Amino acid sequence: MTEYFTSSLIILPLFLALISAFSYNRTLRYVLAYLTLTSLTVMSILTFIRAQGVIITLDYPSQVGLIITTLDMLLLLYFLYVGIKKRHVLVVILAFLQVIPLIHLETVIHEVRASPTFLIDPLSATMCLIICIIGSLIVVYSLSYMEEHEKHLHLKKTRQPRFLFFMILFLAAMNGVVISNNLYWLYFFWEVTTFCCYQLIRHDLTEQSEKNALLALWVGLIGGVAFIGSMYLGVYYVYSLSIAEILRAKASVYIPLTLALLSLAAFTKSAQIPFQSWLLGAMIAPTPVSALLHSSTMVKAGVYLILRMTPAMSNFPALSYCIAAVGGLSFLSASVLAINQRESKKVLAYSTISNLGLIILCAGINTPLALMAAMFLLIFHAISKGLLFLGAGVIENRVLTRNIEHWEGMLGKYPLSAMVMLLGMVMMYLPPFGMLIGKWLTIESASSLKAISIPLVLILSIGGATTTFFWSKWMGCMLTHPPALFELKPEKIPFSYKLSMLTMVGIDVALSIFAGLVAAIIDLALKVLRGEAPVPYSLLGIFTDMGSFLTIPLILSFLVAIVLALVIARLRGGSMAPPYLCGENVSRDPYSFISTVDKPVKFDVSNLYFDRSLGSPSVNKTLTLIGMILLAFMFSLVVI
Amino acid sequence: MSLRGKAAVKSPWILHVNCGSCNGCDIEILAALTPRFDVERFGMLHMGNPKHADVLLVTGPANRRNAKVLKNLYEQTPEPKVVVAVGTCASTGGVFYNCPNVLGGIDEVIPVDVYIPGCAARPEAIIDGVILALKKLAKGAE
Amino acid sequence: MFERIILSLIFLTTSPILGGILRGMDRKLTARFQNRIGPPIIQPFYDVIKLWSKKPIISSNLQPVFAGLYSLLSLIALALVIFGQDLLMAVFTLSSADVSMILGSYSIRSPYSYVGARRELIQVLTSEPLLVLTSVGFYFATGSFGVSEILGLGKPLILSLPGFFIAFLMALPIEARKSPFDISASHHAHQEIVRGVFTEFSGYSLALIEIGHWIKLILFLSILGLFFPNNLLFGAVIAFLSYFLTIMVDNIFPRLTWSAMLKGVWTISLILISLNLISLFGGVLG
Repeated sequence: MTEYFTSSLIILPLFLALISAFSYNRTLRYVLAYLTLTSLTVMSILTFIRAQGVIITLDYPSQVGLIITTLDMLLLLYFLYVGIKKRHVLVVILAFLQVIPLIHLETVIHEVRASPTFLIDPLSATMCLIICIIGSLIVVYSLSYMEEHEKHLHLKKTRQPRFLFFMILFLAAMNGVVISNNLYWLYFFWEVTTFCCYQLIRHDLTEQSEKNALLALWVGLIGGVAFIGSMYLGVYYVYSLSIAEILRAKASVYIPLTLALLSLAAFTKSAQIPFQSWLLGAMIAPTPVSALLHSSTMVKAGVYLILRMTPAMSNFPALSYCIAAVGGLSFLSASVLAINQRESKKVLAYSTISNLGLIILCAGINTPLALMAAMFLLIFHAISKGLLFLGAGVIENRVLTRNIEHWEGMLGKYPLSAMVMLLGMVMMYLPPFGMLIGKWLTIESASSLKAISIPLVLILSIGGATTTFFWSKWMGCMLTHPPALFELKPEKIPFSYKLSMLTMVGIDVALSIFAGLVAAIIDLALKVLRGEAPVPYSLLGIFTDMGSFLTIPLILSFLVAIVLALVIARLRGGSMAPPYLCGENVSRDPYSFISTVDKPVKFDVSNLYFDRSLGSPSVNKTLTLIGMILLAFMFSLVVI
Repeated sequence: MSLRGKAAVKSPWILHVNCGSCNGCDIEILAALTPRFDVERFGMLHMGNPKHADVLLVTGPANRRNAKVLKNLYEQTPEPKVVVAVGTCASTGGVFYNCPNVLGGIDEVIPVDVYIPGCAARPEAIIDGVILALKKLAKGAE
Repeated sequence: MFERIILSLIFLTTSPILGGILRGMDRKLTARFQNRIGPPIIQPFYDVIKLWSKKPIISSNLQPVFAGLYSLLSLIALALVIFGQDLLMAVFTLSSADVSMILGSYSIRSPYSYVGARRELIQVLTSEPLLVLTSVGFYFATGSFGVSEILGLGKPLILSLPGFFIAFLMALPIEARKSPFDISASHHAHQEIVRGVFTEFSGYSLALIEIGHWIKLILFLSILGLFFPNNLLFGAVIAFLSYFLTIMVDNIFPRLTWSAMLKGVWTISLILISLNLISLFGGVLG
């Protein structure tokens, strides 16, 4: 009976989404959002607890499969319709490339094994936790955000029901992706996420958003075609569409090709090089969309798929290292390009690509320690990046600009939101928080590969330094303020903002403090995945045979340092003085100095963006070319 | 002398302000900072920033334009501090006394602790004057 | 075991004093290079006491907090190394100390402070990969990231990690703000950006930053000494000689622009490190 309970992870949000489509009443929307939050949180926690040490399986009869097939066909026909209506050749071609083979596949599919339909192991359960909790917090956030957004756009009739429908539907689809073991069902849910992504990016119906939505659509459809390819291989060479069976199949020449095709799909979904442009274009969508789809959840589907494949990848080290190379290239290049971005959401987008590349790099390295690193990065990135997008959305709705140079001194103007963003940025790359622990684990695991380690550690060290660069730069810009204009006024923000953002901060901090416990839980998940015991854990920290990270002592000493610094500053204090401007300060205007003819002149402070080397459009084109060459190399490796 | 006083005397950091002098005294101050006279053996360091300075070495007469600047720099210098007027112009206005726009010596604008006469003041005299000011600095630190 | 903890504790608590004396020796040596007498060796202590007793002037409420964090986090990083913990963890803690100072000087809307903070970021960008790669190098040569394990092995690491040693030597002038890498605080050329990162710090904030410098100096010299775990005394001598070399280079060479520093240091050190790594795995070096 409890097994059927787990399919409610999909059915319940689907049901809530359908009601949301008609929720023109504001109270109804609030009720639905909070209902989503509570119900999904409870269900995912229950599932998680249930899945510790036990694999939950659920098998549906083939009649239910028929419903899925019908829905899938309808979806593909809709994509065809979109492509024809918007005259987008690629969408039409890619949709056809899926419809025709699928019709053929239908004729053979009932001869093929595909059970169990759903399989929840600790990896799926962890992903479920992230999707349900973080996802529904973002849905709650979107209530206030969309109200403010529509006020700015002066919309006469609210379009929030449509928005809410697609957001909650997306949660259902993501749950489906992570619990499906039937490759066809996974492919269907995958396409539903592409569909939601398309609808949500074009939500504002401007010309630019339509264009970017189509870009996201056809890149996603490439993944769909790759899935069809892998399904064919599964049907004809393993006689099974069960992912577990395909991964366990005898190492024949078709398995690496299947793995390569699935990784291709994963790369498109996670916006790795050469597929990075759709994510950058998707930033035009409203911020909750960016938070949910493009940082915390949908892009995680790609890395989830690669993590799922890691047991099979260990039989094909060349392919593994190719996947690691794609991840490493994305990590380094996105981290360097983020330095050049002035738009807040673009910086966050590049940082997302970079961190996803890091996770894929770890998955490609495929040692137990590296997989532990990948899981750490996955969990903490989902929380921190979601938090950053939420904070960026709040500030953007108030200052009406995304240019980070104009976010100067935010700490004084909007203390709570700015503090949340600053905390989020600190949690992205500084000790003692979880992302840094993940980076530490990555470097330690990447060093253990003998000669292959050389390019890996070079990429990791340079990429890490450039990451520090662009985050510190942005943090500093937000902190810049003239003296005596810094009185922290209490900031009034809606409750849904406070709930979502502060809960996420709390989760991140708590998980970082108990990183040892997190490592233990991941340990269990990986055991089930590989049947091995990676890392001894204790609550005090993470201990490997190469080194140790003492999380609790480090956090305690950081806490003592912060308190001590605050106490010293409080005790000694100091009187406010204007900054040094060669004696030419203007008395009541901290933004000017007295220049020639005794006239006050405004001065600007601005940051480094390296426009000359990083700003030209040929950089992106070169990157895409390198990515395509790398993919071509990877496929030629598996085919030969 | 207490520890604070001793430290103040042993580590006087200098800010050199030119208030419109002919540069003669400035050249002599720079000469005093060179290895030939080696003021660093007294712990004196030339800082370009009033927030880091203890001793303000001012040259040139005070005039209406730089009175604001001088006051601004004086206020940005944290206590304890001493002001040393270098040269006749800084002390009394020198050859520019009573000229249009000239207010006189810099004591018209900020309180001065030590006057070093001379046109231009010699480096030895400048060093002597600063050391004289240090005694006042020590008293101010305690 | 217990005496080891006591010894480490003594080393940790005396490290600021040791660092201060080293800085005093630095100024004395510089003076001697320039054919003058120079200040007494305990001059830095006079400086810090004087700074601490100045009446506080601040330009932003956050500024003294970041200054305090800079020295305290450097102390944590040094403690991690002295108590034999993971070297990579210490490197990341050190970079958080650097970031806190950068944020401290960003937090004031002053052009000199801002430009200094930008340049300090470039300095951190240049030296952080070198520090991370040095930790990795220690792992490759000894099989562990932990300082106590590296010490316990007792192999003379300089023989297997010469490229890393030279690359790390390039990180030392960056940290100590010595030419040719004296770009963010313009220590010697005051008039370029006044005092750069340190422009708006005064009084006790500046004293805290100065103490932080001393601690960081000892940390860097400890890592240099770690290249000689078989004979720590010899390692200390080499570390001191490296510092002497840095001072000499400071007096001979002009300052580079930040782009020259970034390109130059990355090219040279990454080539050296790659060659070292390749020869490590090729079995050429120990």
